[in-house]
Amino acid sequence: MLLPEILVKILFNLINGLIWALIMALIALGLSLIFGLMGIVNIAHGEFYMWGAMLTWFAIAFFKNTLFGIVLTIALLASLGAVLERGVLRTFMGRPTYTVIATIGISYILQQVALAIFGGWPQAVPDPIKISIPIFGVGYPVYRLLLAGIAIAILVSLLVFLYKTSLGLQIRAAMQDEEMASAMGIPVSRIYTITFVIGAVLAGLGGALAAPIVQVFYLMGLDVLAMAFIIVIIGGLGSLRGTILASLIMCPLENLLTVFITPTEARVVSLLVMAVVLLFRPQGLFGGARG
Amino acid sequence: MISSTYTKIAKDRRFIIRTPKLTTVFLMIALPLFLLGMISPKYITSLVTDIVIFSIYAMGYDILLGFTNQFSYGQALYFGLGAYGVLLSVLHMGVNLWTGIIIALTICVFISLLLGSLSVRLTGAYFVIITIIFNLVFYFLALSWVWLTGGDDGLTFTVPPLDFLLIKLSLNDHIVKFCFIFSLFIISFLILERLISSPLGRIFIGIRENEERLTFLGYDVFRYKLIAYVVSALFSGLSGALYAIRLGYASAEFFSLSLSALPIVYTLVGGMGTLIGPVIGTIIILPFTYFVGALWKHYFIIVGALIILLLKFNPKGVIGYIMKYR
Repeated sequence: MLLPEILVKILFNLINGLIWALIMALIALGLSLIFGLMGIVNIAHGEFYMWGAMLTWFAIAFFKNTLFGIVLTIALLASLGAVLERGVLRTFMGRPTYTVIATIGISYILQQVALAIFGGWPQAVPDPIKISIPIFGVGYPVYRLLLAGIAIAILVSLLVFLYKTSLGLQIRAAMQDEEMASAMGIPVSRIYTITFVIGAVLAGLGGALAAPIVQVFYLMGLDVLAMAFIIVIIGGLGSLRGTILASLIMCPLENLLTVFITPTEARVVSLLVMAVVLLFRPQGLFGGARG
Repeated sequence: MISSTYTKIAKDRRFIIRTPKLTTVFLMIALPLFLLGMISPKYITSLVTDIVIFSIYAMGYDILLGFTNQFSYGQALYFGLGAYGVLLSVLHMGVNLWTGIIIALTICVFISLLLGSLSVRLTGAYFVIITIIFNLVFYFLALSWVWLTGGDDGLTFTVPPLDFLLIKLSLNDHIVKFCFIFSLFIISFLILERLISSPLGRIFIGIRENEERLTFLGYDVFRYKLIAYVVSALFSGLSGALYAIRLGYASAEFFSLSLSALPIVYTLVGGMGTLIGPVIGTIIILPFTYFVGALWKHYFIIVGALIILLLKFNPKGVIGYIMKYR
C-alpha cells in the first residue's frame, strides 16, 4: 500500500509527536508535582532535563553502557534535588517571588557547570538499537518505540505510586491541603523533599530518554522548559491527569503543524494557545480540581 | 509602654530627617560616574556607557518589581523591541535618531499596553509564567524571522548623526555618544523620581504593601498595575534602543531570557523598591561580570550563586544593608 507523500509525512510526525508526548509528559509531571505541592515555578526544570540527557550521553560515549547512564541520572538528580530543596528552596518557602529568582540562579549554575564539564558542542547519541521496522513502506527505528514503552512504564509506575501506595497518598493529601495533612500526622516537610526529588528525577529521566532523539546541548533545557510550561498550564497547574492529557494532545499537534510551518512558528502557536488558556481558564482545560 | 512608643516615633523622625533626598544620593553616584566616563581610556568609557544603559533598564524594572511587586521574567521583550525599533526604522526608513528612538518607544508602549492588559490581571506564579511566555514568543520569532531581524547573527547599522539644537553631532566619537546616553540616563532618573514621589508612586507602593486594601479604598488596582507595566516597558525599550545605538548592532539575543534576568539581578543586588538601588546594583555587578567574564568564561556560576546567597542573607540589597547600620 502506498500513501501519498504528504500523508506519510503527517503520519510520521504524529507517531514522533506521540513518542515525544510521552517523554514530555514525564518532564511536565515533574514540574506539575513540584508546583502543585510547593507552589514553586521551577525555572531550573529544563536544566534537570538537560543534565539527564548529558549524563546519558556521557555514559554511552565513555562507558558504552546505556543502563549506567540511566542509573547515574537517577542517582545524581535525586541527590541534586534533595540538596537543592533542603539547602536552597526550603529557605524561601512562602515567598513565591524569591523561590522563582532562586531557581533562576540554580538554572544558571547547572547550565554553566554542564558547559564546563561536557563542553559546548551539540552531541549526538548513537541509536542504541539499529533495527528498523517498516511502517507503510518506510523504515521506522525500533528504539523509538522502545523509548515510548519505557516512558509508558515509568508513567504507569508513577501513577501506581501516587494512587496506590501510602506515600503517594500522603503526597496527594499534602497537595490538597497542607495544613490538614500536617494535622493528620503526615510529615509534610519530608514529603516536600521527596516530591522535589521525584520531580527532578522525572525531568532527568525525560532527558535520558530524549537523548537519542534530540541533540544533547547545554542550552537544550530552554526549549523543553517552554513546552513543559505550555503543557502544565493547558492541563491545569498541579493537575496530574490534566498534565498527561495536555501533553498527549499538544505535542502531536505541534509536530503536525511542523508539516506546514517552521518548528519555531509551531512553537509560537502553542505558546499563544497557552496564553489564551492562561487568560480565560487559568485552572486549565481538563478538570478544575487539583490532584 | 507609652514612653517606648514615643522614643520609637522620635527615632523614626530622626530617621526621616537624616535620610538624604533621593536626588542627592543619585547625584553623588552619577557625578563620579560621569567624570570616570569622561577622563578614562576608551574601553572604560564603553563600560561606563553600558552601566548607564543597563541602569535605565534596571530602574524601569524596579517600578515593576520593587514598587508594584509584579515579578516579571520577560523584560527582554521590550529591550529587544526598543533595540530593533530604532535599528529597523533607521535602516529601512532612514529617519533621524530622535525619530528612531520615538518610534521604538511608541512600539514598546503599544505592545506593553496590549500584553499588559492581558497579563497584569494574573498574579504570582501565573504572572511570572505569562511574562516568560510572551518573552519566548518574541525570542523565537526573532530567531526565526532572519529576513527581518538577522536572527542570531543580528543586524548592524550606521548610527545617524544626532540633531541637537541645530547642530549635527556625530555619534561616532565615543565621548559624544557617552554624553548623549548619559544625559538620557539623567532624564530617565528625574522622570522616574518624579513619578515615584507623586501620588501615583504612593499608589504603587500601596499596591505592593496591600493590594486588597487599595481595592477597598476604591482604587482601580488593575489600571495602576498596567501603568507600572507600561512605564517599565518604556524604560526597558529606551535602554534597548540606547544599547543598539551604542553597539550599532542588534541581534535576536537581545530578546533572550538571560537578558530578562539581568535587571532582576541588578535590582536585587542594589535593593528593590528604592530606584537608586538598581543603579548601585548595576555599578557593582556589570563591571564584575565584565572583568570576571574575561578571566573565567563560566562566571555565570558565580552570578547564580550570588543570586541565591543574596536572597538568603541580604534580600534588601546594598541599600537595605546601609539602612540597617545607619
